[in-house]
Amino acid sequence: MTEVLARLHGIVRRFGPVTALDGADLELRVGEVHGVLGENGAGKSTLLSILCGMLSADAGTLTLREKPITIRSPRDAWANGIGLVHQHFKQVRRLTVLENLSLGRRTASCGWRLPLREVKERAGDLMGQMGLNVPLHAVVEDLGVGDRQRVAILKALLRRPELLILDEPTAVLSPPEVEKLLALLRALATDGRAVVLVSHKLDEVLSVCDHVTVLRGGRTVFNAGRSEVDTAVLTRAMLGVEPRSGSLPKQRSTMDEQEAPSGSQRECRSATGGGDVVARLRDVSAIGPRGQTALRGVSLELRRGEILGVAGVEGNGQRELALVLAGRSQPTSGDVELPSGTGFIPQDRTTEGLALEFDLAENLALTLHRDDRFRSGTLLNWGEIKTRADRLRTDFSVQAADIAVRTGTLSGGNQQRLVVGRELSVSTDLLVAENPTRGLDVLATDFVHRRMQEAAMAGPGESGPEPEAPGPGAAVVLISADLDEVLALSDRVLVMVRGRLIEVPPDKRSRAGVGALTLGVDTAAGKELPHGA
Amino acid sequence: MGPEAGRLSLVRTAAAALLLTLGLAAGFLWLGGFNPLSAGAAMLQGAFGSSSAILSITLVRAVPLILTGLAVTLAFRAGVWNIGAEGQLYVGAVAAVWVGVVGAELPGFVLVPLVLASACVAGALWSAIPALMRVRLGIGEVITTILMNSVGIYLAAFMVVGPLQESRGVFNQTEAIAEAARLPLLVEGTRLHIGFLLALSLGVVIWATLRWTRIGFEIRAVGTAPNAARIAGMISPNRVVLISFLTSGAIAGLAGGIEVTGVTFVLYEGLSPNWGYTAIAVALLGGLHPIAVIGTGVLFGALEGGAAEMQRTAGIPSSWVIAVEALVILSVLAVDQIRRRSRA
Repeated sequence: MTEVLARLHGIVRRFGPVTALDGADLELRVGEVHGVLGENGAGKSTLLSILCGMLSADAGTLTLREKPITIRSPRDAWANGIGLVHQHFKQVRRLTVLENLSLGRRTASCGWRLPLREVKERAGDLMGQMGLNVPLHAVVEDLGVGDRQRVAILKALLRRPELLILDEPTAVLSPPEVEKLLALLRALATDGRAVVLVSHKLDEVLSVCDHVTVLRGGRTVFNAGRSEVDTAVLTRAMLGVEPRSGSLPKQRSTMDEQEAPSGSQRECRSATGGGDVVARLRDVSAIGPRGQTALRGVSLELRRGEILGVAGVEGNGQRELALVLAGRSQPTSGDVELPSGTGFIPQDRTTEGLALEFDLAENLALTLHRDDRFRSGTLLNWGEIKTRADRLRTDFSVQAADIAVRTGTLSGGNQQRLVVGRELSVSTDLLVAENPTRGLDVLATDFVHRRMQEAAMAGPGESGPEPEAPGPGAAVVLISADLDEVLALSDRVLVMVRGRLIEVPPDKRSRAGVGALTLGVDTAAGKELPHGA
Repeated sequence: MGPEAGRLSLVRTAAAALLLTLGLAAGFLWLGGFNPLSAGAAMLQGAFGSSSAILSITLVRAVPLILTGLAVTLAFRAGVWNIGAEGQLYVGAVAAVWVGVVGAELPGFVLVPLVLASACVAGALWSAIPALMRVRLGIGEVITTILMNSVGIYLAAFMVVGPLQESRGVFNQTEAIAEAARLPLLVEGTRLHIGFLLALSLGVVIWATLRWTRIGFEIRAVGTAPNAARIAGMISPNRVVLISFLTSGAIAGLAGGIEVTGVTFVLYEGLSPNWGYTAIAVALLGGLHPIAVIGTGVLFGALEGGAAEMQRTAGIPSSWVIAVEALVILSVLAVDQIRRRSRA
């Protein structure tokens, strides 16, 4: 057995009432690539932030080379040989690679100058040893993401870390770039460092790691060498579907059993015939915020009365799918047919859902001001809007003294009730919801779920969409990183992986089946899904 | 903008900022060996001491400040940082004088509206340059509008020694505009012209627009939460930005047009003692509320009007007022920040 470099034991970390880490362990050895796996919210980032000195632990110990230490700041971490390569590159875009590498590298001999010559020499050596090639004299903004990531790694290596942590490094890379990166990680470990790879993607972890740790619900639930694991084992560990495992995510554990049957009932209903097709995507591609291709030829039909659930690990194109479906952004190619009455519940209620400086009525007007019923000529019909806002406040139990309250002062749950209520009032044809219950407590979550189901049902609910909206309900698209939510509510379930949509067959509609698909592997067949690109 | 609490906090912020300013100003005067009390008394005397002080000095001075203050208010409410009111004012004045001189044959009821309209158009066109640079190229308007100010100021300076110089070529100013182009007086025997009434009505119109109309709501939404406005399906935030930017430019241009048709009747270099910049203080002290801006405009008019009297009787240079105006901006920002922190 190789030498243990660092050991984290019984780490606990709370954020207010939320316990992010609840006794997590991690053991890192020299010469090994160590994979850290876990679903969203399992505690991966928190654990590594503690190791890197960006957060402090509430309890637990950290030993480095068998000596207990406390790391108080990122600078402290670097001084102890612990280095982090950020998911988002922190580089000056207008400077060359060499200049970027030299920033912050002070040596006694160079005084106030950048130590360009010294850095160039050392970077050249490292590149030779590691087979890592970047054009040192290129300007950073001209480089692709793969190169920029190698620059970030090279910059970290210049500080001679013994332990190098990469947080989701493959999220932005294309498949060939991923191959190159994984080979580099292996070379770094062979060269005598401990390397930590944080990832959602099982196939990557399995192809490069010597050791795997799985976190779930803030605890280390699994830890084994590469030879002892396969995708099935890891999937079970991550999703916690083994009956004997006692640490399912708390709030959901009961729902899992109760809601699953109702999901299949809903399926029967949709099988008897969904309503008319209200929206259609044909071979649609779109570009994400960083210029990467985020949607790769997606085709989809949405029917009235049907809840379509889209599961997947974040950053696989869900955001772009939501924006295209909601008519908020244009695809780069493909055909899009959208209805006029579309409601959109964006995932960030504080910056996208609401104008926090506005009161309830004004926030309602954000959506309603397009509607002819709420204006006469150039004037907005504020009387009508305020009446509507007051009704919405009662119907959706928004806890606010009156409709003139600034929405910035409301709690998250009440803000979301307002957004949901507002969007339901316009979604006569289609409702697109993007992580609609993120950060909400159980009550508010349940409330939002029920309202979405009502929206899809034929005829208006007691306080449902529009009283005057006739016939069958809207088509509802639920895009969520929360598997339980998708399984519990959806008539059809799709999984989004690397910009493509995969329909989940009825026999795989379980936490394990869908979970495996979202991770880019198929447990039953034990094989990887085809790479896009 | 319904909430009473909002209005109250606006008044409180303004009052606290004013008190802070007065305190600081008095402190500096005292340090400089002047008596703050007699300086204040002189200023009050100059601004409000008689009906002619009020009507012919304070209110006349307030007109361009109210107008440029409204221009800045409208832009800021839309999230457009138009620092270019000064340049827009000058090109408005150039256009107004030119039309006012050439159109001498026209009757007043045609010429006055024509002159003022041309001032608006000139101001709008001037602001269209930074507006398009922001919307099409993503270039921040703070820098571009400041740069455009210099161009506008020197354009006016060139006009008064070049194409528009008076016919004898002696003075660095334009020919006087036609009698028919001049604004009628509001009160006979004073210098107060109907431009004051125009400024007041414009304040009310902007207030009502922001409060009641669709475009006004869009302006406020894009200004306070551009992402939410876009995601909520506001057709085009850029269109809203463009409309507010150009309207703001038009109002600043109108300020220049009204000054040359109501007060000076000619254009000369240095027509504006930085009204376009003082406008920012006027707008901020007024909490970007159009009606409140009328009040702060009058207040600043009184400051500038009273400064002359202060110089005469208390021996304090009238340029001291510029320092006071700067103190106002700093105080507003400080008070606002403190209130924000204590609220959070």
